[in-house]
Amino acid sequence: MSCPDADLLIAGGGLAAQRCCETLRRLGFDGRIVVLCEEPSTPYDRPPLSKSVLIDEREPEGLSFRPASWYEEHDVELLLGVAAAELDLAERTIVLSERASAAGPGGRRDAGRMRFKELLIATGSRPRRLQGIPVGGAVHELRTHEDALLLRAALRERDGRLAILGAGLIGMEVAAAARALGREVTLIEAAETPLARVLPPALGSWIAYLHRLHGVDVRLATAVERVSLQEGSARLELSDASVLDAAGVLVAVGTSPATEWLASAGLGPGAIYTDAGGRTELPGVYAAGDAACFPDPFLKLPLPSQHWEAAVRQGVAVARSIVGLPPAPPAPSMFWSDQHGHRIQFVGHATPDCEIELDGDPATGESFAAWIARAGRPQGALLVDRPQSLPAARARIAGAEEPSVSSGEKSSDNNNHSKRGALWPAYR
Amino acid sequence: MACIPVIDEASCLAHGDCEALAPDVFRIEDVATVIGTAPLEQLVSIAEACPASAISVIDEATGEQLYP
Repeated sequence: MSCPDADLLIAGGGLAAQRCCETLRRLGFDGRIVVLCEEPSTPYDRPPLSKSVLIDEREPEGLSFRPASWYEEHDVELLLGVAAAELDLAERTIVLSERASAAGPGGRRDAGRMRFKELLIATGSRPRRLQGIPVGGAVHELRTHEDALLLRAALRERDGRLAILGAGLIGMEVAAAARALGREVTLIEAAETPLARVLPPALGSWIAYLHRLHGVDVRLATAVERVSLQEGSARLELSDASVLDAAGVLVAVGTSPATEWLASAGLGPGAIYTDAGGRTELPGVYAAGDAACFPDPFLKLPLPSQHWEAAVRQGVAVARSIVGLPPAPPAPSMFWSDQHGHRIQFVGHATPDCEIELDGDPATGESFAAWIARAGRPQGALLVDRPQSLPAARARIAGAEEPSVSSGEKSSDNNNHSKRGALWPAYR
Repeated sequence: MACIPVIDEASCLAHGDCEALAPDVFRIEDVATVIGTAPLEQLVSIAEACPASAISVIDEATGEQLYP
């Protein structure tokens, strides 16, 4: 068999890929690294797409993780506009495709094959779509820089209401940005509270309250039955029998892992399961980021995470595995969001049977912390404008998992948070 | 009073907000490193902006933690 084209081939040019490259070079890995970047730009940071890019018109160059010279200096080859189309396991080869404008918008053409010694699957995820609501024109989705530019232009150039389908982080951050730009916004969520998969209802209700306070029309437990598109606008028929006219629609109902290209290799569909070092079931094949499903070190079960922080830790974990190091010590998972001028941080987990204790009063608009526990053991925390409490929250959650910590020590820790409010009433 | 920022390397995820706010104080590689200092007030506002809350501020002379 001929020599591989790459010692490490990375399919996907997002955050996990970037952090894997950075860590490998820092650890002294000197093999040839090739990164397939489906988008035409060098790897860039996505969180600003739903925040500052919409409000302050931050430009694409400002979002790049590294200047182009970094990739030359660190001998990392980026193939821009090139995607992985198929994995040929027997030949340890990836079939490539590239954007071809001649093949029409979104058209792709064959771009040869590349042989690898080791492979990192980091193709990320793409927004879920809803049947009967084609994206394009007045209907937006938000994943790439290109999507953000289209949404930004629509927010600035057109008047009228923006209807957002889905009260997840993307939907809520865009709602906040659109309000900051003076647009009318309706946020429609099928579940009874926002972020229902991660936040207990009492805390999800607080986020709905925050958005209402800032003039967002929040419709919970409401589904979209039908969308009819007219010239530059949309009419939405909702499950509560109401009708909503909007100048623009954002579909933000979650993502699915972009792993279809692995079907012929027997992987997927869905996220690719790995161990704590990012190893898949296939030798020399790793996965990280939105395309991967790592075991959660605290819940001790496979748990896909589409958060920024998971992509960082997983990219680093794969780099450490490649050079033969064990994974870094586990840290409780965490995400953050900026909405209506508030810094919202969530660390750990919340199970449906959790107990919540408040430090501060969410109704006042001031900072507060919600400490989440299960059977008396700290499990998670929601911090609003309390960044200084995050280190303590992490320590409490990590400490609760360690059998060496006696229950006496834990209860004295709990006493440090003596000022507690009543449970936040569920808003509807 | 001279104060210096300290990075908790296990928590730092190299978001880069600190470097953007104070390029003379922080440099981002795979984690943030401290390359300078600034007045306490400025350091605290940078520490508050860190999405991973990985920055603390100490009094250089006494080692006393000033933030968080």
